[in-house]
Parts: sequence; C-alpha cells; structure tokens
Amino acid sequence: MIEDDVLFGRQVPLEGPPQLPNVVAQPAIKRVGQRQQCQRCWQWLRPQDQLPNGTWYCRQCLQMGRLTSQHKLYTISEPNRFSMLAKSPLTWSGQLSAQQWTAAQDVMTQMRAQHNHLLWAVTGAGKTEIVYPALAWALQRGWRVAWASPRVDVCLELAPRLRQAFQAITQTVLYGDQLEPYRYCQLTICTTHQLLRFKAAFDWVIVDEVDAFPLAMSPLLQEAIQHAQKASGSHLYLTATPDERLQRQVARHQLTVTYVPLRYHGHLLPQIQVQVTWQWRRRLQRRGLPAVILRQIQHFLTERRPFLIFVPHVADLVLVERALKLAGISGGATVHASDPERQAKVQAMRDQQLTFLVTTTILERGVTFPGIAVLILGGDDPIFSTAALVQIAGRVGRSSQDPTGSVICYCQTHTQTIRAARGMIARLNWQGKRQGGQP
Amino acid sequence: MTVCVWCQRPLKTSLTLAQFWRWGPVTPPDICAPCQKRLTPIGDQHCPQCGRQQMTCQLCQDCQRWDQPLVNRALYCYDAEMKAYMQQYKFQGDYALRRVLQRALATALTQLTYDILVPIPIAQSTWQSRGFNQVTGWLTGQAYYQVLQVIDQDKATPQSAKNRTQRLLTPQPFTLASQAKDLCHGQRVLLLDDVYTTGRTLRHAATQINLTGAKAVTSLTLAR
Repeated sequence: MIEDDVLFGRQVPLEGPPQLPNVVAQPAIKRVGQRQQCQRCWQWLRPQDQLPNGTWYCRQCLQMGRLTSQHKLYTISEPNRFSMLAKSPLTWSGQLSAQQWTAAQDVMTQMRAQHNHLLWAVTGAGKTEIVYPALAWALQRGWRVAWASPRVDVCLELAPRLRQAFQAITQTVLYGDQLEPYRYCQLTICTTHQLLRFKAAFDWVIVDEVDAFPLAMSPLLQEAIQHAQKASGSHLYLTATPDERLQRQVARHQLTVTYVPLRYHGHLLPQIQVQVTWQWRRRLQRRGLPAVILRQIQHFLTERRPFLIFVPHVADLVLVERALKLAGISGGATVHASDPERQAKVQAMRDQQLTFLVTTTILERGVTFPGIAVLILGGDDPIFSTAALVQIAGRVGRSSQDPTGSVICYCQTHTQTIRAARGMIARLNWQGKRQGGQP
Repeated sequence: MTVCVWCQRPLKTSLTLAQFWRWGPVTPPDICAPCQKRLTPIGDQHCPQCGRQQMTCQLCQDCQRWDQPLVNRALYCYDAEMKAYMQQYKFQGDYALRRVLQRALATALTQLTYDILVPIPIAQSTWQSRGFNQVTGWLTGQAYYQVLQVIDQDKATPQSAKNRTQRLLTPQPFTLASQAKDLCHGQRVLLLDDVYTTGRTLRHAATQINLTGAKAVTSLTLAR
C-alpha cells in the first residue's frame, strides 16, 4: 500500500491501480497520429523501438526504468500540502552585499510576476545566496520548489547549505543511484534527469548551472523542466556562462536577465594566462612534463598553495601521474567521472589532506576549494569550450581572504576558444570595474 | 548523424580505399571502436568442452565434474563489461542493444557446421514482461526452429540469482514441441544461448534434443 503523497505531482509506473482518491492514470506510451510519444520524457519513439511482442518501449529515458506501452503512469495533481508560515523560513545568518541585494530584489520581482528569468552572475558571485530572499518568500507562501542541476556534485554540495539556510522546511535530495526512498517535500534538490519523474508539480524551478553538460545539448532535459513546473509556474536559470541559445533568448527579450558582474568580495576575476608550450603532449608521452610546467608546480608546492591540474581526457590522467612521480612530486590524486572514490577524493582535497588533484573537466564547476591555483594542460583541446575555460578560471580566488591566484593555460596553439574565454573574462571585469571592483 | 548503439556517442566513420573501389553500399558499424574493445573475445586457447578462455587447451575443472559431455563454443568472456551489457540488454530490456553482437554471431554461425539451429526459449511470463527473446534478437535472418518449449514454473528466484549448487539442482525446464521429432531426427543440432555459467540449462536442453534421435548436439553461447 502506498501513501498518496508519493504520487503528488509525479508520474509513477505501478504494478496495479492504487486504491487512492483522485488518481489519474494514463498510458506511458501514447499514440499521436502515426507516431508514438513517451509520456515521461515527451520524446518521439523511433520506428525501430518496437519489441517483437508488439509493444513499444522508450529508449530515451531507459535509465530511469523501462517504460513500455503496457505500463500506465499514475499521478495525483499537486495539492501543495504544506503549511503557510507566519514568518520567513530563512535561517541563514550571512549578509548580502549591496550589489547582491539589488540582484536579489530583481530576482524576487520577476519570480512574483512568474516570469522565466536568467541570473547571469560571475563565478563566485554568490548565486545561491542571491536566490535566498526570493526562495524564502516562495516557501513562506507554501509554494513547492525544485532546485535542479545537471550535475550531481552540485546537488550534493548544495543540499547541506540549503538545509542550514532553511531549517524549518522539509527537503529531499534526488539523484540517479541513491538508496533513500522518495519523500514528499516542499523543497526538492535534484538532478535535471529526476525532473522527468514529475508532472506539473513545482511552482518554481531553479536550474543551477544551466549551461552544463548534459542539459545544454539535451532537448529531453529542457522539456523536462517545462513539464515539471505547473502551468502557472516559472523557472529561474542560474549560470556564469550562458550559452548561445540563452544569450539569443535574452537578446530577443524572451527571457529577462539580471547581471552580477562582480564577485561578492568585490574583487575582479583572475584572467587566464596563456603559455604556449610546444608539443607538450609528445613530451608527456615520451619523457614527462615540460620543465616550465614542473617549475610552476614546484613553485606552488614551496608556496604551500593547493592546486588543480585540468587535463582534456581520462587517458591523460595516467600519463600526468607518471610524469609527476618521475619528477618526485607526490601528495595528490587523480579523479575522473567514473572514479569510484571520486566523492572521497574531492572531500580530501576540500579538507586539505591532498595538495593537488589532477582532474578532467568534471571539477570545472560547482566546487570550491579555498585558496587554490589552476593549471590547464592542453587548453586548446576541443573538450575545453569557452564556457568551460571561464568556469575553470572561476575556481580561483573565491574566498575573501585570498581573492587572487593564478590560472595558467598551457597549450600548443592559441585557439579561438581561449581567445573568447579571455575576452569574456575581460568584458566582465570591465563591467565589474565600473561597479567599483578591485583587481 | 549516426550514433553508437551502446554508448550513444557519435560514430566516426571513414571510407577506406577498399570500400571505395568496391563501389557497393557501405554499411556503417553499429558500435564505436572503444565499445568494440570493451568485450573480450575468446581466442584459440579454450576448454574443449565449455569453451572457457584459459591458458591451456585441456579440460577445465568444471567440465571434469560433469559426466554428460557437451561441446560448447563461446564468443566472449563473461567479464564485468559483458555483465554490464547483459544487464542493460536483458534485464533492463534495451532491445536496440541486440545490434552490438549481431555481426559477431552471424560470422560465428557461418564458421560452425550444423543442420538446424535451436535457440533456448524463454518462459511465457518473461516474454510478456520483457517483450523479446534475448537469444533470437541476436539473429539476423538465419533460419531457426523453436523445437523446445519452457514448462511454466513459478520463478521464485531467477536463475541468475542462484549459486552453483542451487543451479545444478534446477529440474528439467524444457519439453519438446510436437514437430520436434520430424525436425531433429538424424540432424546435427546447434543450441544457441546467451551465457554458459554452469552448463545446466544447455545440458537439460541437450537431453531433450537427444530424445528426438538427433545425430549430434553442440552448442554456441555468446558468453562464458
């Protein structure tokens, strides 16, 4: 027997119809004209997705459990069964800076008007805190809110902060391979994939790091946001590096925008220094890292400054690790997306047990290590997009005690993406300087 | 743009000079080169009975314990990658993944000598829920005969959740179809299954086929 709140605003495939009031059932795969459409991910099925026994199955959302045309999705429309609060649920004791406060007011106005909005704030501007006043207002009125991100790391880092900031609000975290069962909560922190399980559930959807992989190139996930919010609902995009599509929407006035060009501590972004290193990859495969890079690493080690080394591919991790060992440098680790100890290594770096991490682009965003420096190996590789480079540079100088730090990009050629990333940082810094930012 | 069936990454296909001069239709591969490398094919050095990959060509320990000989050939090692594949194809039910192994199986079938091909059937209830037979999914137009039928049993524990001793105690799950005697009598029969684990299922099937008076019964599995 299941509780009815499991079905509030969700779409759940069940074995049989539940004995609950107000349950609406609909087939998981619906025939529309000549084509079949999955009712969970709203994608069209291909003609080859038919099984030999005549049923259809959706391949797009297969990871969330297979849906066939034999399944039914059960839902109860969202009743917002939350109590109205007399006073604001915000239990965060921090202070917003003047420019953060202006941005927060802007976000609040747009949310109350239920407009879709974009908050374009540089890395380290305190995007999360800027949203707090508006979020407190929404939760006080009994709205159901989702805070979604394409990246599970972002969700996991965010969850304890939000729990601290809104202690009276029921919260849950949803992501792919978790063990905890689903709970009906007012504030849902989840990956964008998990939004597929909801239907017209949220009054407000906040999408953090909206330009991150895989959301940016996935029409499936973009649809998921649309369907997870109520017809009367709206969404807020948060990012430091909006992609072409979003910038175009802003230019056409389809999306309102708030700019925050300055970090919360009032210092400008660190600019990427480009160092052309001839044939670094060949040298890495043969002997080891070029001397110029090793010298820089030694410099960081004597300065006792923790640092990150970004490499383009997983295969490069082993080579760099070997090269560092040959040079007698230890005290770090390598990490990549499918590393089983990924969470533990990142935590060890945060606790300053490790002096450096060699990583692929997975740590490009959403993580904060105090007082670090960054080296990018092969910044001319197509895997480092302009947005990725700006995000990587944004890992540096995030704390107010240590607002500076170096970002050095080693590459064979000075490519257009590097030029564009440097241009974007320069432009934001120019805007920031006008608002009184210091280098 | 075509994508790899398994990892969904874009397929990079390049036209070779040989393909160009042949002037015929070019069929792009179904899976990308990194995915192709994920599976480990079994080479020449394998157990003469069960087909397990090993250093020598002698009978392996498991086969020495069997008193019912059965010659089996296997295409790939049943390692972590193969398990991941089977998990997605068979248990998650991603029917499109059949294309990953279709070509390998087609080549293997042309190299073996047999008269009729008998795939191991699945229970009616599995057919209903899964929607396809995982073994016949791999076939691309090769003629096969459903000579065997599954007796519907209550599947309290699935075969894959049992240990070796429990699996060896599995009772005979197959019966012969009505036309089996006419089809198999005096023929060389090749059984086809997905995974050879203990050999219990295949030997049960071979026992039934032998009752029809088949000349020889061998088997082929995708993994061992």
